[in-house]
Amino acid sequence: MLNLLSFQASALGTVGELALLAALLFTLAGLWLAVVGGVKNDPRATEGARRSVWAVFGFVTLSLVILEVALLRDDFSVRYVAEHSMRVSPTWVKVTTLWAALEGSILLWAWMLSLYAFVLSLTLRRDALRPWALGAMFVSMLFFIGVVASIASPFTPLAQIPSDGAGPNPALQNHWMMAVHPVLLYFGFVGLSVPFAYAVAALITGRLSEHWLLVTRRWTLLAWAFLTAAIVAGGWWSYETLGWGGYWAWDPVENASFIPWLLTTAFLHSLQIQERRRQLKAWNIWLIVLSYSSTVLGTFLNRSGIVQSVHAFSNGPVGAVFLGFLAFLLIAGIALAAWRSPYLRDEGTPAAPLSRESAYLAGNWLFLVFSAMVLLGTLFPVLVEAATGKKTSVGAPFFDAFAIPLGLGLLFLMGVGPLLPWRRATGERLMGALKIPGGAGLLALVVGFAAGLRSVGVLLTLALAAYNVAGLVVLTLRATKERGSFLALYREQPRRQGAHLAHLGLVVLALGVAFSTAYKSSAEITLNKGQPVTIAGKTAVLEGLERRTYPYGTSAVATVTLGGQTYMPRSNLYVNGGNTLYPTPSVRYGLFGDSYLVTTNLDPAGGWASVRLISSPLVSWIWVGMLIIVAGASLTLATPKLAVRQAVGAGAVAAD
Amino acid sequence: MNSTSSTLLPQARRRKRNPWPAVLGGALLAAILGFIVFGNLSKSLEYFVTPTEYKAQSSEYVGRTIRLGGLVKSAHYDRESLKLSFTVTDYGASYPVSYQGAVSDLFKENQGVVVRGAFTPAGVFQANELLVKHSEEYRVPTSQADIKSMLKDTK
Repeated sequence: MLNLLSFQASALGTVGELALLAALLFTLAGLWLAVVGGVKNDPRATEGARRSVWAVFGFVTLSLVILEVALLRDDFSVRYVAEHSMRVSPTWVKVTTLWAALEGSILLWAWMLSLYAFVLSLTLRRDALRPWALGAMFVSMLFFIGVVASIASPFTPLAQIPSDGAGPNPALQNHWMMAVHPVLLYFGFVGLSVPFAYAVAALITGRLSEHWLLVTRRWTLLAWAFLTAAIVAGGWWSYETLGWGGYWAWDPVENASFIPWLLTTAFLHSLQIQERRRQLKAWNIWLIVLSYSSTVLGTFLNRSGIVQSVHAFSNGPVGAVFLGFLAFLLIAGIALAAWRSPYLRDEGTPAAPLSRESAYLAGNWLFLVFSAMVLLGTLFPVLVEAATGKKTSVGAPFFDAFAIPLGLGLLFLMGVGPLLPWRRATGERLMGALKIPGGAGLLALVVGFAAGLRSVGVLLTLALAAYNVAGLVVLTLRATKERGSFLALYREQPRRQGAHLAHLGLVVLALGVAFSTAYKSSAEITLNKGQPVTIAGKTAVLEGLERRTYPYGTSAVATVTLGGQTYMPRSNLYVNGGNTLYPTPSVRYGLFGDSYLVTTNLDPAGGWASVRLISSPLVSWIWVGMLIIVAGASLTLATPKLAVRQAVGAGAVAAD
Repeated sequence: MNSTSSTLLPQARRRKRNPWPAVLGGALLAAILGFIVFGNLSKSLEYFVTPTEYKAQSSEYVGRTIRLGGLVKSAHYDRESLKLSFTVTDYGASYPVSYQGAVSDLFKENQGVVVRGAFTPAGVFQANELLVKHSEEYRVPTSQADIKSMLKDTK
């Protein structure tokens, strides 16, 4: 590799590569120190491992900054910049080009991993778990930094330095979401490495402490909130750029981000059973191993080329290496769990079938089944091709066939869970508690049917949404009355109130998904300039077609007046995108529905434009629901205010 | 009393639980899942097919959603009514295709195209999606192998 380092060829590239190699060196050193510290119970070795984390973070940050500087300065001696950046791009595109292609995205992942390890090293408590948690983080870092330092290095020098680069994929220059969605997604994926590290530490030491529960929950919640925001933001990005008015296509890479989300949600809930009842300890460990492995599976699918997807990076040797790491994680995780889980003993007897624990457990099973089915649908084309040689793709009907019933089942459990007591619920009390929510659900069903809704899925979603909301309102009102004010209630139970808010957000999101999927309507028409045409009951006129030129491409902006409102959909051409048009639809967001106009074809002379008008009811509820979920998740992180204790003055007598 | 080494307790005896509820519940779940998977999966699988392959096995593909790839010949497009009709060929067999919707200017004679839709019993391919986006490196497929790889690479 030494012949790849050359200051004459590329100064920035060489420094960047050296920084990565130094980070790799410190990762190896840190891993060794952590293992020694754990095996010999030596605090000095553990402290050395902890400081190695700081060194790794420093060097990976340095290489990230160097790549960013190379991008911003158009330094085409660095291979990544020459292959993925160009001079004429605006600054924000150059910044986001860091993660627009394979090598840069792995560098970003490695950086986030080192950042999480850094924060962990500062907040980690001095206990028996410490060296092993750091060690597990080092193993993850060893893989990612190893890959980016060797086979997927952005810094390898070029034989001939071009005068201009090839530029990023035009689809990634089209919308500012490129700056947001991948970052959020990686924060979510990488965030799961910390609970995984804690779980590995717990398995190796055989100890699950109170503190373990607390920190695992908080780290998982952080990663989960990022993942939720990232998945919905990705859906919004599709909605805003692809021109078909949809936001989810059961694309293999979308599924690969959805599976970790499902498993992590299950984990967040089954953790609570461990907190209250000290049960399901082994179950939780298995679940976090699966969750973390599924994030690596996702990144493997994205980079290996075995599934056809709009998201896939180019394939290369990287795919095989990711598969190897995935296999290692699964085998090591399962082996550790199988070896040590007998030592993680559950206390107490299992709860009655009708109790909050059982509702959580049933929910867990639904999440697991959901993940397994999504995984099956995603990998099925690979299996078919391996078995018969025929290329296939699995369409949406397969996913909808189980996603809808499972989603409705989860909505039901979400509503009944908070109403059930722990340990055991008597039938009568449950019926009493279900009266108001059940009544609200039936009422909503009747109202929806009377209003003309006939789709079963939508009616059931509406009924379950009303039932959920009624249940939460009843619970909250009763609890607020007991404590005087909602603020006092929140201060005493931030986790429960935050969770209720997150559930409410999910209900809003579910309503948005149900209505927008079932009642989306679209119409296509060609507009000649100045001639009014009726489309979907409104009058549309093409006022004008304007061409704007930018250094990085041209935009044809059509001005259309539809139903009295002005829309300006754009059709963009990029200098490195050939003749392919990238649309920017014009969307009017409304509380009860969106009007979405996209140009599908236009006259270069400006005489006509073909447009597609899509109306989706309640689509904005999806984005708003996500924001509510993230707000609820953040609220659960507050510490509850315990009853104020009187400070005891000097000279007070102990017994009174 | 002094224990110098931390010994782990021996494994406690587990209370015997009736296995039947779990077994039956699991079997029921597996049956439901199996029904959903095998009932729906084969119907939802979309095969990637060239016109020659369709000619060889028409009965298998009629009415099912598939992806058909080939070369465009004799395209007729009415911009006002947004109706497109053309013939797709792979140097071996040809079939007429009809599509309703806006079509970009890239759609020309002798271009490679992948369409998603289904064959009617009459032998006309009713397309509901045109799937091809070309980059500047695009080369017109000149043989069946080219068409097969174009099908394979369509995202």
